[in-house]
Amino acid sequence: MGIDQLYQNLEKMKKLLMTLIILGLGSSALAQTYNTFEPSKTQFMLRGYGHTGFEYLDTGGEQESTFLGATFAPIFLYKHSDKLMFEAELEFELEGNELKTGLEYADVMYVLNKHMTVRAGKFLLPFGTFMERLHPAWINRLPSRPLGFGHDGIAPASDIGVELRGAFDLGGPKMNYAVYVTNGPRIKDGSEEPEEAGMLDFGYYEDVNLAKALGGRIGLLPLSDSSMEWGISAYTTNSTGAEDSDYKEVGAFLWALDLSYVKSITPLQGVVDIKAQYNSSNVDTATYYEIEDGISEPYSFDNQSSSFYTQLSYRPIMSGSDFIKQLEFVGRYSDFNAPEGAEWEEKSTQYAFGLNYWLSWRSVVKLSYQTTKMEGGHDSDGTTRTNGLFVHWAIGF
Amino acid sequence: MKTTTNFKAAIILSVMASIMVACSSNKKPIATDTATEVAGSEVDFKIEKSGAQLWGEVCNRCHIAPSPADYNDTDWETISLHMRVRANLTEEEITKIETFLKSAN
Repeated sequence: MGIDQLYQNLEKMKKLLMTLIILGLGSSALAQTYNTFEPSKTQFMLRGYGHTGFEYLDTGGEQESTFLGATFAPIFLYKHSDKLMFEAELEFELEGNELKTGLEYADVMYVLNKHMTVRAGKFLLPFGTFMERLHPAWINRLPSRPLGFGHDGIAPASDIGVELRGAFDLGGPKMNYAVYVTNGPRIKDGSEEPEEAGMLDFGYYEDVNLAKALGGRIGLLPLSDSSMEWGISAYTTNSTGAEDSDYKEVGAFLWALDLSYVKSITPLQGVVDIKAQYNSSNVDTATYYEIEDGISEPYSFDNQSSSFYTQLSYRPIMSGSDFIKQLEFVGRYSDFNAPEGAEWEEKSTQYAFGLNYWLSWRSVVKLSYQTTKMEGGHDSDGTTRTNGLFVHWAIGF
Repeated sequence: MKTTTNFKAAIILSVMASIMVACSSNKKPIATDTATEVAGSEVDFKIEKSGAQLWGEVCNRCHIAPSPADYNDTDWETISLHMRVRANLTEEEITKIETFLKSAN
């Protein structure tokens, strides 16, 4: 080996050493940068849920079946600080050939202290628990809602206003509360839809008068493991008609009782989940008009409605089989009574049974059979029985 | 009917106002020496629940308890604030649950 060759080898080693040093320093610098990274207090997050499925319905011998267009409900969460947040949920749903869109809620909230938070905007109303906590497709154990909720239901779902809410520990038992003031509902006077005269329209968000609706809910969790919750809700307004209408003085008072019991029971090798809610609606008596043979005939009725549901589900999570522990068995009874004498007079009862398979904690395939007996209603004066088979796939994200 | 509605509204207002007043203060009540001793002995025997235990009890009241691994620490902070208000949880409950989720993800 000559001196020149030795010199060249030394040069190569020197370059290799320099490269290693640079790489080492570089990675060290990068690691230092990474270690000092801290998330900002302002955070934005996209969550939500969606579902799709297949439905087969038999209504008094008339059969129909269809795949459902996917329903998509993105939820936007903007955390401005540890106390201030904005939340909004949109709804996209295919109804026939139309894309139906909606704003489920959009509100800003601020934590005033450990026992009180203020919310303002459009928010889900704590009238019972179903619409506020349990209705999303990935939470609801059955593909459908109980009678009395949703379209033409008597339980208010959301409104625009301001709310105070909070919770506190009673040394084992817990208690929570919510109280709110909102625009309130509009009464349907029959001028647009005569068959719905006297019905409260909770989906009409524009304030039609100077009166506001006042409501609230108190929840009590008497057991130290929080497995049981009792709730009582109330909602009232002095006026549901437009300021210059004959229905300005028509007030309404609604109340609800709700129960939740969720407990892991070792002898049953699983989790038992019981939910129930009773809703009552009382609207002041008023005079409405129906057209018969071209003549306007006045009529009135005792405007009281009620609905009830109870649901029992069981998940055998302690089973030795990985397949069985993902199953859930569900049964639900619900009924709905609309006022006698109203054009929308109705007495309905419904039984629903379901078998669910949980793919994960937020994704479920639901197979359900449901039978509904309806006396009266919009479309018929007689009794109608509707049987349905549903397969839904819901996912939360 | 109108009078009845107003009467019911007045009852609701009174109950809600009482709760708001009771809950809006952070101030702790002044305790006598005897009360302090009793409270102290109660604290000694009070079994504090862990975040994991509360995660199992509280989340399952509405939906299956989430997997801690599904979100990072930053996400859990946002979700926790959202759920504190949505499910009307106490500050202690959500603080412990959030700490557990961030430690187990």
